[in-house]
Amino acid sequence: MTVRQARSEVTRRKIIDAAVGLFNDVGYSNAGLGDIVEHAGLTKGALYHHFSSKEALAAAIIDEGSDILLKTFQSISRSPAPALESMIHGVLVVVEMANTDKLVRMGAVLLRIFAKFSDLSTTNYGVWLAEMATQVRRAQSEGDLRAEIDAQKAADFIVSALLGAELISNALSGGADVLERVTETWELLLPAVASEQSLPYLREYLGRESMRRHGRSAST
Amino acid sequence: MPGLQQSVAKCLAEWVVPFSNGRILLSPVCCGPEACRHSFPDCWIEAVVTDQTDRRADSARAPLVRAAAQQFAHKPYSLVNLDDVVAAVDVTRGGMYFHFPSKQALAIAVIDEADKLGREAAAGVLASKLSGLETLIDLSYLVAVLDLSDDMARAGLYLLESIGRADGIEERSLRELVNALSQIARRAVDEGDIAAGRDPDDVARLLVSMYIGVRHTSDLDAPRQFLLDIEKAWKLLLPGFANPERMGYLQQFVHRRTAVALGKMTLPNC
Repeated sequence: MTVRQARSEVTRRKIIDAAVGLFNDVGYSNAGLGDIVEHAGLTKGALYHHFSSKEALAAAIIDEGSDILLKTFQSISRSPAPALESMIHGVLVVVEMANTDKLVRMGAVLLRIFAKFSDLSTTNYGVWLAEMATQVRRAQSEGDLRAEIDAQKAADFIVSALLGAELISNALSGGADVLERVTETWELLLPAVASEQSLPYLREYLGRESMRRHGRSAST
Repeated sequence: MPGLQQSVAKCLAEWVVPFSNGRILLSPVCCGPEACRHSFPDCWIEAVVTDQTDRRADSARAPLVRAAAQQFAHKPYSLVNLDDVVAAVDVTRGGMYFHFPSKQALAIAVIDEADKLGREAAAGVLASKLSGLETLIDLSYLVAVLDLSDDMARAGLYLLESIGRADGIEERSLRELVNALSQIARRAVDEGDIAAGRDPDDVARLLVSMYIGVRHTSDLDAPRQFLLDIEKAWKLLLPGFANPERMGYLQQFVHRRTAVALGKMTLPNC
């Protein structure tokens, strides 16, 4: 990377960070490009050099947030764990991240705002459905997921159920109980998709996950 | 290196660029292209030549380390012939000595590279944020699969034992490893997977000994047997320090990791 590219990247970061902060404080629709420029301590020219409009800025935040989550999930999938364990664990880690990381959280909020008005949601959710289907197939070959289930349908169902849990948690508790809700969703999903011989172990795995999280939030 | 070629072109246009040891030193003596070429013909030629040698030398280092790893992974240190290493990458002995003055220097580069590989892979497992004991089990399978499938990892571990003793490299590496594992074991004690009262340092040392031991008593060229031997070792060790109440779950956890690792080893090019 040349010095100029590095400098340009720093400017881009400043704009995105300022936008995330401002969207968070006053809401996407109330934040003007002028405010963002002021918060970032830059000129309008610098902003327009990177983003042609507020929508382009929002799209960049959605992409970056989604990218961070997907990479985290994929990195967990590459661990020495069986696929279904990685799915359970990866979803909980990603949900926790979407709740704590400002940029990721704003990306998720903006994705909902834009859902019906652009193809951003089609692309973003599409990537997740494909990723989940890959893991479902692996879980089937490892004997954890029942063989007679259609992999893509199971993946769609799992992603829908988890997104729904997150949506309801955000609506009813501002996201405070999202991990409990996602854990409960897994408790209900597992008997539906897991093979008979793996189910007792997987329940225990899930139980340990939520116990550990409770332990951590209680100690901090 | 197109950048350097551009600098040379720029030299012809604006500057005289004297070269020493292949490094560019911009000299503020202005001259036109023709003057540059005529006044400093050697400079210009040397610039191009230096550029090419540098490029060749730079690109030879990594392949040399890889070729060396292939040799060190399958032969004892003393039996590795450097002619086989240079032949595999089409570099002259002189080209090799430019980077590695001795067989030992080359071996140390392999150890370093393997160390980097291991740390990167381990970072992925650590970022997964599993429980402490689960992380320790996962790390052992991660290392086993690397050891079985990647010459760099395997050569690094062999060399650590054979030549690492000389410069204290082995002692340093093992101490770092034990310290890192000990911190994870401490977490496992807090989480209740390792029985209270067990010393995390002892657990960490035992696990490192177990792996190094299995490497000697089992056979890395028989992947299936090797992984089953690692599983047996875990199943025998766990009752020594794990919480009895969690034993059923942990034994299954180990069994499931073995199954995944066995699956990986039966895939081609893994």
